[in-house]
Amino acid sequence: MKQYCEKFVLLLTIVLLSGGACRKPYSPPAINANRNFLVVDGFVNTGAGGITTIKLSRTWNLADTLISKPESGASVSIEQENGGTFFLQHKGNGVYESNPLTLATNRRYRIVITGGGGVKYQSEYVQAKPAPPIDSISWEQPDDLKIFATAHDASGATKYYRWDFVETWEYHSFYDGWLGQKNGRIFYRDTAQKNEVYICYTTEESHDIILGSSISLSEDVIAKQPITVIPQNSVKGEQRYSMLLRQYALTENAYQYWLQLQKTSQGLGTLFDPQPSQLAGNIVNLANPDEPVIGYLSAGTVSEKRIFIHKRVLHDWVALSPGEACNIQFTSQDPNDPLRWPWPDTSFSPFYFITGGGLAVIKTSCVDCMRRGGTNQQPSFW
Amino acid sequence: MQSLLRRCLPICMLGLVVLFSQRVSSQQKNVINGKFLSAPFETFIKTVESQTNFRFFYKSSEADSIKVTLDADEMPVRTALDKVFANTSFRFSFDESNRVFITRLYQIHTALPEGYFEQRAVNVQQNNPAVAMPLEKSRKKEVLTASLENKLYEVGSPDSKSKQAKPVLSGYVRDAKNGEALSNATVYVDTPAVAVLTDQFGHFSLTLPKGRHTINISSIGMKNTVRQVLLQSDGALNIELVDNIVSLKAVTVTGEKKSNVRGLQMGVEKINIKTIKQLPVVFGEADVLRAVLTLPGVVSVGESSTGFNVRGGSADQNLILFNDATIYNPAHLFGFFSAFNPDVIKGVELYKSAIPERYGGRLSSVLDVTSRSGNSKKLSGMGGIGPLTSKLTIEGPIVKDKTSFIAGGRTTYSNWLFKTIPNSDYRNSKASFYDVNLHINHTIDGNNSLYLSGYLSRDRFKLNSDTTYGYGNRNLNIKWKHNFNSKLYGLLTAAFDHYDYSVEGNHTPIDAYKLDFDINQTSLRADFHFNPNNTHAINFGLSTMLYKMRPGSFSPAGAESLVIQKTLDTEQALESALYIGDQVNITPELSVSAGIRYSLFNYLGPHDVYGYAPGIPRDKSSITDTSNFASGKMIKTYQGPEYRVSVRYSLSESSSLKLSYNTLRQYIHMLSNTTAISPTDIWKLSDPNIRPQLGEQISLGFYKNFGTTNVIETSLEIYYKRLRNYLDYKSGAVLLMNEHIETDVFNSSGKAYGAELMIKKPSGQINGWFSYTYSRTLLKMDDPIGGTLINKGKYYPANFDKPHSANLIFNYRISHRYSFSITGVYSTGRPITLPVAIFNFNGSQRVFYSDRNEYRIPDYMRADMSVNIEGNHKKNKLTHNSWSFGVYNLTARHNPYSVYFIQEGGSVKGYKLAVFGTAIPFLTYNFRF
Repeated sequence: MKQYCEKFVLLLTIVLLSGGACRKPYSPPAINANRNFLVVDGFVNTGAGGITTIKLSRTWNLADTLISKPESGASVSIEQENGGTFFLQHKGNGVYESNPLTLATNRRYRIVITGGGGVKYQSEYVQAKPAPPIDSISWEQPDDLKIFATAHDASGATKYYRWDFVETWEYHSFYDGWLGQKNGRIFYRDTAQKNEVYICYTTEESHDIILGSSISLSEDVIAKQPITVIPQNSVKGEQRYSMLLRQYALTENAYQYWLQLQKTSQGLGTLFDPQPSQLAGNIVNLANPDEPVIGYLSAGTVSEKRIFIHKRVLHDWVALSPGEACNIQFTSQDPNDPLRWPWPDTSFSPFYFITGGGLAVIKTSCVDCMRRGGTNQQPSFW
Repeated sequence: MQSLLRRCLPICMLGLVVLFSQRVSSQQKNVINGKFLSAPFETFIKTVESQTNFRFFYKSSEADSIKVTLDADEMPVRTALDKVFANTSFRFSFDESNRVFITRLYQIHTALPEGYFEQRAVNVQQNNPAVAMPLEKSRKKEVLTASLENKLYEVGSPDSKSKQAKPVLSGYVRDAKNGEALSNATVYVDTPAVAVLTDQFGHFSLTLPKGRHTINISSIGMKNTVRQVLLQSDGALNIELVDNIVSLKAVTVTGEKKSNVRGLQMGVEKINIKTIKQLPVVFGEADVLRAVLTLPGVVSVGESSTGFNVRGGSADQNLILFNDATIYNPAHLFGFFSAFNPDVIKGVELYKSAIPERYGGRLSSVLDVTSRSGNSKKLSGMGGIGPLTSKLTIEGPIVKDKTSFIAGGRTTYSNWLFKTIPNSDYRNSKASFYDVNLHINHTIDGNNSLYLSGYLSRDRFKLNSDTTYGYGNRNLNIKWKHNFNSKLYGLLTAAFDHYDYSVEGNHTPIDAYKLDFDINQTSLRADFHFNPNNTHAINFGLSTMLYKMRPGSFSPAGAESLVIQKTLDTEQALESALYIGDQVNITPELSVSAGIRYSLFNYLGPHDVYGYAPGIPRDKSSITDTSNFASGKMIKTYQGPEYRVSVRYSLSESSSLKLSYNTLRQYIHMLSNTTAISPTDIWKLSDPNIRPQLGEQISLGFYKNFGTTNVIETSLEIYYKRLRNYLDYKSGAVLLMNEHIETDVFNSSGKAYGAELMIKKPSGQINGWFSYTYSRTLLKMDDPIGGTLINKGKYYPANFDKPHSANLIFNYRISHRYSFSITGVYSTGRPITLPVAIFNFNGSQRVFYSDRNEYRIPDYMRADMSVNIEGNHKKNKLTHNSWSFGVYNLTARHNPYSVYFIQEGGSVKGYKLAVFGTAIPFLTYNFRF
């Protein structure tokens, strides 16, 4: 028995040296094929003086590291059933816009796209569906700030809703920036100049797909549809927050499409990611109907509503602490020219002069709010 | 004298010899004188008997026709008889006691076979009236040498008051060496032609006319034997068979031959452990599932998925029973080992089409794995040492011939193996498992026996990630078998089955989580088997089972974890069934088995059930209400009959045609998330929103054996299946921790069809088999409330659709000690839905997928080779050793274990992971004591 075991260990070593697993890249031809599918994002706005915006882009391969692949050089038009064609102009970056139009809301519309290579895409005709007004936008705290929408349609015709929004918030620099540096010189700011780098506004479009339905209710009512959640102490609630909510009415098919799109994975490979999904929209390549085209054209009006939330009404909202990023550093001044900028790193700004000589410097982003992505131009609605 | 002859000669005509212990005169005189002219035969014999010491035995009614014309002058008796019987059908023979036997057609052999006298002594001692020997065909001569075969056993009492014309002979067939019950042994009588198979306890019952019978018994791996029985009334006869050490396979042919063509079951595959142990398998560990996977119609989902697919069914559509305990996960170590320790296994049966009515609850197949019962004669054991696992089994009597046990354990030490592999991909991997088996048999008395089985297993593994997977089975059951009489017996079973799995993620201490899931089953069933006569074999019974399933609990792991505890509601349900079936032998050529099973499923509270707006796709927004149901309240009931019919028609001795039709219902569903690195399964009970799966199958099989001794067996079966309410996931479904999974799944309808071809040479120096299967499984989304149609509502291949699969098993027995085998496996890769492009929409990047299951992962192909060396064949050594060595995955092909996609550095990358992507030599040492 003993001698068997010894032999056994010897042979095992052979197993170990040769045994092994491997993870190999998997990229079958199906993946590497050039998948240049058209993506159509937009809707036909039938509101009075409404501007229709259609964004065109292309899909790209899995191995490419892109953020977007806009499609320019296409010709896009809206066609009204039984007459009427309205062309859109390319505004750059794959964005096509119509002139302000007033399209009849009881008609059906489609879009026709002629791509760069003369390939013609066309959507189905879709019935324009007016959006009912947004009744109210409400919010709730403690902790995170939750924002909800409430709407109803007394006629009961809407049933399926979609929302998106533009949010704007005011925020301030971490510290007052009374001093600045430019071209190697230190300069003073007055209150108005200081405020130009102290008060900023950021505006962002929503990215999430927000859908709601009243199909399971006896009345066409949307009560407190969650729109977004702002984490507690986020910079968005630091001073004043505003949201412009836009509400759209969808047909059942459009709703199903958006629902599918909502589930279409943004993450993959982990246990909790959703299973693969399919997208079957209402736009086709006329010459090759089997070619996938991403997007579902809808038509209708948009209803909008804006709210403001001031930091005063929020509970336990503490402005973001800059932490170590705003640590102050000290340097000496040039005794002959105290306003000469003595610090080699130009991403810093002068902060204050030290009594008896010397200069405190700080990262510019701590005293100039524009360095954090916003603008100092106050929006018109503010 | 003549009356005695008259009584015995009919037996002579059946080919039997009659012997008497009559004393004979010692005088020697063997010539005759006299003239006969057309003399009656009787006159001639009387003359001869008066002149010599010979005594003649014959049937006077037959001899009437003979007229003797002979002129004898000191003529030897033998010469005289030669002349008398020239050109007639009469034969004669002399024995040592000067007796002459005259028979028609067959000559009586008066010289006794070797070893006969020993037996005769026993007979004399037992004062048996007669001893009979088969004489019929020369190839049966070897049978004569087996001593106990010539003994006439008197069963029942001749003065029994019962007027039964056809008494029942019942009993057990066991292994003489260790007392283990032999199931599927064929017990048959040639006239009248009656054959039965023993059941799982080795029990048989035969209805025969009163009188003498030769009972033939054959069982795979055992020596064929016969028993002489004088059946007077109902009675029992236990038969012990001897292991066929010398020519292991020679007997298998006969045993298999009978069941292959004659058996009523179609679409049933039986493999015993000896065959399983001959196949080369990974790391030399004999493996039940791997053997099953070589059968036609059975394919594995992937190299190491936990399951297998039978005839286009999904993995959860197989009922896997281990001593009647439900095993939810039959695999160890990413599926490289099956959950069944080969040392405690007796054999497996896989029912693919004609599923007996006593089984239910799954649509595709029943895999019935039975363990051996412990050696009831002496304490013994066996074990094995391999590069990944070691195992030890001990068995023996607790009370000799009354109570015996068998206990087996296996464990692995593969964790260190992974650490040593010089490949960084594996440094971060871990895998381990163990399993424990216990089986106790207790015979209370001739009519009552108890059986206790326990099984426990646990697996943990981590595949090059920070996620650890674990699962385990726990099963315990107790059975009581009671023989009411020789025609009826019943079996009462109480069982508890448990399966759990867990996933632990510890990417960072902050998001460390543990996901737990389990299924518990408590069941009670009563099964009866009634054999009123040889024409009918009736099975009936009832069963009930309580499910208690925890579909998920997500909890923080460690003090630092910020994961919020979430637990899905426990689900309860009761599944009950009532069944009856009859197997009727209408003529020797035609037999029919028909059964019905009525199953009832109650989904029970406490549970909250969502109501959905009717007629529109189910979605969170279409939830209309939530109903709370109290504990024990019946929330929803599903019920329906299931039909099981099969017909066998023998075209000839060596070929038959079988047809079967089945309907089945399944109330428990599994969904597998195959997009992650390691597939994770979700189980779900039918509830008000998820209907039971229904299956319907029709199949036709043709069986033919070729060769004089049926050396080559072939079969061709075709089938067509219809599936309804098969559960598939919707686009973008979230399967884990989903409180309303019904919004993420839909009921599809499906069809599956295929053909299976098998060519098998079960014995000989070169043996093995080849099987080819063509099978398709197509699903279609036709659920009006399913939402967006998958593949535009067209048929699409199911996740486990693998059109072609082929297996080759080749064994070459160089000598009794050395054997060489090779296996080859091929199957089409499973379908996959590939991410094919990325796009930006509404400000976010998203992945665009191909149609559902539009593509396939690479085909699976593997060849293994092994050499087995048995220790020397001295029978009474202390330990018996054997070695096996070989190479797994001889061609070093990278068969993918999983194919998955992850986001890396701004792009999406696909990977295929092969766990054993190289040729792996192995060596295993096995011992028995």
